Amino acid sequence: MFEKLIEKGLEKSAWLYHLNTGSCNGCDIELVSVITPRYDAERFGFKIAGSPRHADIIVVSGPITSQSRDRLIRTLAQVPDPKVVVSLGSCPRSCNVFNGSYCVEGPLDKYTPIDVSIAGCPPKPEAIMAGLVRAVEILKEKRRAMK
Amino acid sequence: MKFPYLKEAVKSLFSKPSTENFPKEVKEAPEGYRGKIAFYPEKCVNCGMCIRVCAPGAITRTIEKVEEGDKITFQFYMGQCTFCQLCQDFCARKAIELTKEYIMIAEDEEDLMVRGTFIKKAPPKPPVPPAKPATPAANNVEAKKEEAKSE
Repeated sequence: MFEKLIEKGLEKSAWLYHLNTGSCNGCDIELVSVITPRYDAERFGFKIAGSPRHADIIVVSGPITSQSRDRLIRTLAQVPDPKVVVSLGSCPRSCNVFNGSYCVEGPLDKYTPIDVSIAGCPPKPEAIMAGLVRAVEILKEKRRAMK
Repeated sequence: MKFPYLKEAVKSLFSKPSTENFPKEVKEAPEGYRGKIAFYPEKCVNCGMCIRVCAPGAITRTIEKVEEGDKITFQFYMGQCTFCQLCQDFCARKAIELTKEYIMIAEDEEDLMVRGTFIKKAPPKPPVPPAKPATPAANNVEAKKEEAKSE
C-alpha cells in the first residue's frame, strides 16, 4: 500500500556522497556552493550524506591518485545498488593536466562506469545542478530496471 | 523593550528570496567567461600552435590524404580541457574561441568532443623537365630524385 509513496519519496530525495580522490579543491568548493542558499540544491531533494552507505549518487572529483585508489574502490563497494556515479570536472574523466603523472592512476572509468560527467574546470554551480538533475533521472530508470 | 534586528526581519518577510530560480531562468555567464570551445575550421591554417601550448593535451589532430590535398581534423576534448584560453590567445587566425556556454552534461564521451574538419590544398606541382636520354640505371635514379622532390 505504501510502496508507491515510498518510491516517490525516494525519487525526490537523492542523497549525495562527495568523494575527493586527489582533487585540487576547485570542484569541491563549487559543489559546496551548490547547497548554499543562493543555488539551494535542496529544492531538488539533494542532501550531502556523511556516509557512503546512505548515498544514492556518488560525486567523484579529482584524478585518482595512488593513495586514494584503494579508498575509492572500497567506498564504491559500500554504496548500495542502484547507484549513480557522477564525475565532477575534467579530472575523473581524463586526469586533465595530471595525465601521465607517476602518482595518478588513470581516469575513473578504469574502475567504474561513469553515468553522468559534468565538464568544466571547475564547472559552474548551475552546471553541477543540471548534471545532478540528470543523475536523478538515471537513478529512476535504474530503480525501475531492478524491479 | 528593544528588539534587535526587527527592521531586518520585517524587511526580509516581504522581500524576494535570494535563491536563483535556476532551471527556469538560466543566467548568462559574465563577460570574459571561458566556456565550451568553438572551432572555426574555415579560418584555421594548420600551424599546430594550439596543440603545442595545450597543457593537458586536449587537442588532437588527424591528417588524412585525399585527392585535393590534406583532410585535417581538429578534435577538442572538453573532458580534458582546463579552459585556460591559451589556445585562443596563441591562435594567429582567431579560429578558436571560448564561448560563454557553460552547461556541458554528457553521458557519453562523444558528447564532449568538439570537432572541425577542413581540406588544405597541396601546392601546385612544379612542371617536370623532360628526362635526358641516358643509361636506364641513371635514368631510374634521376626519376627517383624527382619523385622525392615533388613530394
